[in-house]
Amino acid sequence: MAEVSYVKASRIFSGNPPVRAVDELSLEVSDGEFLVLVGPSGSGKSTALRMLAGLEDIDEGAIHIGGKDVTNVPPKGRDIAMVFQSYALYPHMTVAENMGFALKLRGVPKTEIKAKVEEAAKMLDLQKYLERKPKALSGGQRQRVAMGRAIVREPSVFLMDEPLSNLDAKLRVETRANIAALQQRLGTTTIYVTHDQVEAMTMGHRVAVLKDGLLQQCDTPRALYDRPANAFVAGFIGSPAMNLKTVPISAEGAKLDGIIVPLTRSALDAAGGLDEVTFGIRPEALGIVPSGEEGMDMTVELVEELGADALVHGAVKIGDASQRFVVRVDGRTPPTLGQHVKVAVRDTTEIHLFHPESGERLEA
Amino acid sequence: MRRFLDRYWYAYAMVLPVVVVIAVLVLYPLAQGVFFTFTNINEGNIANPILDRPATYDVVGFKNYLNVLSGGESYGAFWSTLVRTLIWTFSCVFLHYTVGLGLALLLNRQVRGRALYRVLLILPWAVPAFISAFAWKYMFNAQYGIINQLLRSVGLPDPVWLGQSDWALVSVIIVNVWLGVPFMMVALLGGLQSIPGDLYEAAEMDGATPWQRFRHVTLPGLRSVSSTVVLLGIIWTFNMFPVIYLIAGPNPNARILVTYAFERFFSGASRDYAIASTYGVLILSVLLVFAAIYRRALRKQGEVW
Repeated sequence: MAEVSYVKASRIFSGNPPVRAVDELSLEVSDGEFLVLVGPSGSGKSTALRMLAGLEDIDEGAIHIGGKDVTNVPPKGRDIAMVFQSYALYPHMTVAENMGFALKLRGVPKTEIKAKVEEAAKMLDLQKYLERKPKALSGGQRQRVAMGRAIVREPSVFLMDEPLSNLDAKLRVETRANIAALQQRLGTTTIYVTHDQVEAMTMGHRVAVLKDGLLQQCDTPRALYDRPANAFVAGFIGSPAMNLKTVPISAEGAKLDGIIVPLTRSALDAAGGLDEVTFGIRPEALGIVPSGEEGMDMTVELVEELGADALVHGAVKIGDASQRFVVRVDGRTPPTLGQHVKVAVRDTTEIHLFHPESGERLEA
Repeated sequence: MRRFLDRYWYAYAMVLPVVVVIAVLVLYPLAQGVFFTFTNINEGNIANPILDRPATYDVVGFKNYLNVLSGGESYGAFWSTLVRTLIWTFSCVFLHYTVGLGLALLLNRQVRGRALYRVLLILPWAVPAFISAFAWKYMFNAQYGIINQLLRSVGLPDPVWLGQSDWALVSVIIVNVWLGVPFMMVALLGGLQSIPGDLYEAAEMDGATPWQRFRHVTLPGLRSVSSTVVLLGIIWTFNMFPVIYLIAGPNPNARILVTYAFERFFSGASRDYAIASTYGVLILSVLLVFAAIYRRALRKQGEVW
């Protein structure tokens, strides 16, 4: 049990110019929290985790675990356990030996190791496989062994580096729920890295979004979805992605094709002086309206039917350019390909405005 | 049977040339060699078409085996030669493996000029064995050789390396180690590079010291490569003729089974083909027994072979 904090921690890879893989990351993770680090490839999320693990140097700043500065402590002294993306199970050891290896190195008596391994195996439904070698296990079982190896050690922090990315879609959803439940039960501080924003949203108590080594925002899943701090977070969180378009604004509101979307006072104030903004609206906040009503003219280019609802991709003219929009509509009555439809904003409170250059959120 | 041939004649036709070649080049000489061990064939009684002389050798049963296995000096002192062969084989393979592994571990890290070191270390392998053997022979020269000059300059005793003493065996072992290390190094380097890096990271997270990581990740990861190269190394070294013969010549202090078989076949008053063949068959049987035991041991460890 421990809290974790990154204090302006940086990892700089040598090169010309040097790459700041993680750039002055400051993050507080409280005891027992499940924090998800999410971002696209190359965002530095894995590097940030490996810095905490002690597998990467911390070139600037510091990392504290349980109030203790561990910046220069080797992995061994940090009391952490890690689940690797590839699981990294020792191929020549049985499941039980794999799980008990850390305890064996620590000199824990054999009977105690056996008891702990069996307890963890029971928790993960692995009792039947304890004497098998990893290569005789399925992907899901290996994943559980990797989890078990971490649990047996009873560390103060769990680190997980994309532990589900080698599983098939169904198993991933199942295991996602199991890991979240397990973490709840053990109450161990957990840092979890993923590139999958659905995993991030469903598992994390809080989610930290990284891009190019910089922390973009760290908040609860709900807050990230409702109030993204910038255009990147807005586009990254939520599936399908938010529609983000640069549109002209005036005192009445944002000008889209044929309609003017009214904006709140505070948003207009924040955008004061700008004649263009990045206008963001989620597919679910848009809707198709009868042809007589006011709305943007959209030509349907693609319809993705998901069952409960359908995603309609289409082109809308904004200024002189044709822009692509995605609208979420009822699954039973989707429009057909090539059809011209009217699209209107269903809920004006779900509009996000960002600075057209910096991408920062406008309005307080 | 008919259907079997109808169906598979093509496959048999394809392997037939290879079977014929192997039969002519390997099986026939082998059978002939085994036959010779039961005769008293030598230069004086073998058929000689030039002199228009028919073969006059006789079948003598197990007499050759009895003579050789009794270990008499005039038949090459089989048992003490076998012991020397084993000392030679195991010290060579042990040093090949340990030195090769050490170098492979060094080369497996990120060091500046790694490519250059790798080329330099593989060089002994690229030089034809007889050239390096002669170079070493000169270096071992008791009076003018560079090794003794160095030893003298630091005040150490300078042995007669290639004389009638056990130093001759030490010398040929040194040369063979120098020649054989590159192969082990390259094979083990390949093995090291096939061990996934995250296993080391996982071991580090589990709290393993560098030695424990070597013992619990590196060595098990190298096991299948090691078992193969050690077996090959033992077979090759057991039969390593050129190094010993080119450096030490027919020196009984550096004699191993194959060099004695060669001596018996090509030199001496009467070239004794029968005893040479007997040695050949005995070498083959020693290696067969060894390979069988080795394989069983590996199988017990769960290695697939």
